Amino acid sequence: MPPDEISRRAVIVSAAIIPVAAITATAQQTETALSSTQLRILAAFVDRIIPKDELGPSASESGVPVYINRALGDYLAGEKAAFIEGLEATDALARRTQKAAFADLTPDKQDALLTSMDNGTAEGFANARAFFNRARRLALEGMFGDPYYGGNKNFAGWDLIKYPGPRLATSQDDQKMGVDIKPYHHSAYGENHGH
Amino acid sequence: MAINLKPVDVAVVGLGAAGGVAVLPLARAGLKVAGIEAGTWMDPAKDFKPDEIHNNVRGLVTTVPKAKKEIPTFRTSPDAQARQGATHPMMNAVGGTSIHYHAQSWRLKPWDFKSRSETIKRYGASLLPKGSTLEDWPVSYLELEQYYDIVEHEIGVSGKAGNIQGTLDPAGNVYEGPRQREYPMPPLRTSDYLDHMHKAAKSLGWKPFHAPSAINSQPYRGRAACAYHGYCDRGGCHVRAKNSTCFTTIPEAQKTKNLTVFDKAQVTRIVADGNGKVTGVLYIREGKEYFQPAKVVLVSSYTYENTRLLLLSKSKVYPNGLSNNHGQVGKHYFGHWDAQAGVGVTALFPMDVNTWYGAMLSQGVVIDEWADDTFDHSGLGFIGGASLCTYMEKHPIAAASMLTFGRAPAWGSKWKQFVHENAGRFTGSYLQTNSFPYENTYLDLDPEVKDPLGDPVCRVTSGPKDNETRAAIYAQNKMEEWYRAAGAIEVVKGQPFGPALSTHTYGGTRMGDNPETNVVDKWGFSHEAPNLGMLGGSVFGTSGARNPTLTMQALAWRTAEHLAKNWKSIAG
Repeated sequence: MPPDEISRRAVIVSAAIIPVAAITATAQQTETALSSTQLRILAAFVDRIIPKDELGPSASESGVPVYINRALGDYLAGEKAAFIEGLEATDALARRTQKAAFADLTPDKQDALLTSMDNGTAEGFANARAFFNRARRLALEGMFGDPYYGGNKNFAGWDLIKYPGPRLATSQDDQKMGVDIKPYHHSAYGENHGH
Repeated sequence: MAINLKPVDVAVVGLGAAGGVAVLPLARAGLKVAGIEAGTWMDPAKDFKPDEIHNNVRGLVTTVPKAKKEIPTFRTSPDAQARQGATHPMMNAVGGTSIHYHAQSWRLKPWDFKSRSETIKRYGASLLPKGSTLEDWPVSYLELEQYYDIVEHEIGVSGKAGNIQGTLDPAGNVYEGPRQREYPMPPLRTSDYLDHMHKAAKSLGWKPFHAPSAINSQPYRGRAACAYHGYCDRGGCHVRAKNSTCFTTIPEAQKTKNLTVFDKAQVTRIVADGNGKVTGVLYIREGKEYFQPAKVVLVSSYTYENTRLLLLSKSKVYPNGLSNNHGQVGKHYFGHWDAQAGVGVTALFPMDVNTWYGAMLSQGVVIDEWADDTFDHSGLGFIGGASLCTYMEKHPIAAASMLTFGRAPAWGSKWKQFVHENAGRFTGSYLQTNSFPYENTYLDLDPEVKDPLGDPVCRVTSGPKDNETRAAIYAQNKMEEWYRAAGAIEVVKGQPFGPALSTHTYGGTRMGDNPETNVVDKWGFSHEAPNLGMLGGSVFGTSGARNPTLTMQALAWRTAEHLAKNWKSIAG
């Protein structure tokens, strides 16, 4: 390789390193990604995905909006704008078809709108299905992920599906069938997790 | 200008599963080795957590994520527009992807090395996959056996032999090729679920056995035994029981004082002189460019990057890329048809099976009757098949995302009720299908998409194939039979569509005697640049129906040993 080629490459490399450092710095901030209005739509949305019932608390009671808000503020900052657009389009759908804010609708009416988004028939909301699937996916991450990230409060998600917890070592008895394993209510990061 | 470094005997590009093994025989032979790695060292206490979001959702068990900035583009046919993937399947770190892999450590079958001639002999040439560029390997199973044996003992593999020098033992895999001795450790422990599946397979007259794995079933060479905590998949081992090269062969090689590890060093070009010999590598570390002179260069940067580095390294003698004067670099590429390629099968049981904890595929039970050429393919219209494996380890987000088998909606209270009852009652299975190279499956440089240095990324062209589709569907039906025999009440089979970007990819610098159709010779050295060696899946000519890592490592050891023994003739 000729020397001029080498030095050209070195310049490009130096330039390429700066944005990486900048991205890392952003990732460490914990700013609020969503406004209070957006958080209200989000809570209403995820509470229909995971409602409060005899099996346990709702998504918002379990910190799912906290998880999503934080993720959109750091790790998922790149999709924040698209997510906000989806939340606002959901609210606009409610206002257009039901003449009320999404969060103010009855659970039945919320379910009807979400069903139309889920099956791709939501009127005037082209990306409804993709947004619905993404929001549902993030709700599951918040509800069933480590509480360190702000969701799964009081281990409600893990208890719901009977996941026995992130033990660092397990015995053959912990892998038995037909036996209830005592849940191990700990975050992988100790007790100092995100609540 | 690049900063010139002190010359070494051998520069190894990439200290992962293959390069991390090759450094040991080289260093022991007294050669001065520079191990050049884009990532850095990882700390089990800090980096390896039982955390599904960290490991699986965000894929953060990695260090300098060079790979993430050069994700290949992918298309299913040469006419299609290639699109860049969302994530790179591999990682950069000392130890590479051997840190977070599933660690199943298989020997390929004798048939895998001569699938072409054996197929012609048994069924006639008409059964060869149409459009394939399949050749026999230039090395046989028996020639590789001693290297499998060395690596199994050096890194530590747990398993049960099924064939010791021709004596079969049904506690192991009776369909394996003959081995000279038993594994250094017994298999990982069993579980109720694995015993249940074992019994079901026996009821069908099949021969189940426990998977071989590079995870310690008992303390081995100063490292701990597996703790079965259930975060093996995409996670590093917090007790160093997974025998990643950063805990085994790399530190062993460092003890000789002949290996120097250059971490955070991204190799950008391999340099060749006017006589066609390589003279060293250029790399970038913290914004500065260095030239590492070396008498021999071994490239072990994974299938995609092995091909890309050669194609990017143009010179007077190699105007189309290093070692590419026969136009074979990037050719004969293929991905493994496995669960990620739509071949997986999922089942629901009427009782809790408790597969939360464990060690992924390594704590698994395997069926091998429907793989390779173990069964008669007359009239079936395909060669090969798949190994069937079901295993322990399930993470909560993945469990809550389970299929509902048409029994419940996907959200709301009825869904909560469904996952409450069933998240502990379903399991998945991993079917790895014998896969082959084709004329229209290949790697080249993307004409548009570039990495942050301005270099084109690798472009993958690989579409669905009839032979593999048929073999996969045949194996899926066998998996369903197994699940039904075990009492499953629902079984759902994936639609095999073929592999996209994957951790199991092969070819691009294929090994073979004929320089017109292969890049490296039977020892792994270039047919064109005599002091350039290639390591990893890029030299494979077939995939086998099982995980590739142990075979990459046996070949890496063999290439390194050949180099040390023939130093003068290769290094010149």
